[in-house]
Amino acid sequence: MPTQPSSDLSAYLSHELRNALACIHQFGNILVDGLAGKLTSEQREYVSIMLENASTIRSVLDSALDGVPGTPEKLPNKIETYF
Amino acid sequence: MDKPKILVVDDNPTIRKGLSIRLRANGYEVVFAEDAISATAALITEEPDLMLLDLGLPAGDGFVVMERLHKNDRLSNIPVIVLSGRELAGNRDRALQAGAAAFFQKPVEDGTLLFAIKKALDISRGELRFDQ
Repeated sequence: MPTQPSSDLSAYLSHELRNALACIHQFGNILVDGLAGKLTSEQREYVSIMLENASTIRSVLDSALDGVPGTPEKLPNKIETYF
Repeated sequence: MDKPKILVVDDNPTIRKGLSIRLRANGYEVVFAEDAISATAALITEEPDLMLLDLGLPAGDGFVVMERLHKNDRLSNIPVIVLSGRELAGNRDRALQAGAAAFFQKPVEDGTLLFAIKKALDISRGELRFDQ
């Protein structure tokens, strides 16, 4: 496990990488859900592979920047906590 | 019944576009702002039912927008959901203390975000209590 980056670097990486990942997630899911037209099963499989790997990157980010061990199945769901 | 109107505040045009596609597909009207000044103006002119707010914005940040919102009696009941790329430490608690109904770190699952939006709107209309 790498040591924690400095707080300035951590803030920069968090903002830049999370925004880029959010775009990948948003548009990947838009494609998978057919909001931009129906995909073939092969196209759907390939986009799903992209999304799975984006989730893996997100888990690494969570661990490295926020110290929160994450898994691709555990994207943030804090709604129960805050409502 | 009119579509609930959501103000999406984010300086990243790709994020705004992605959110608009998802929200419109789920029956919401979407309006936009890209910085703290235009967000404050849009709150007044559009009177949205809910605001999705990024924290890192030009011309002030999301905390400034929330502060202005809560100083305006006519607008202060508009629920705010923060959707930020910032680190959790120092931002999540501060956003909730500033009056945000929920804080999500990007990227967030669409289903989770849509659930939070629906719940915040239900609470704001008095159709649901906070403990439900």
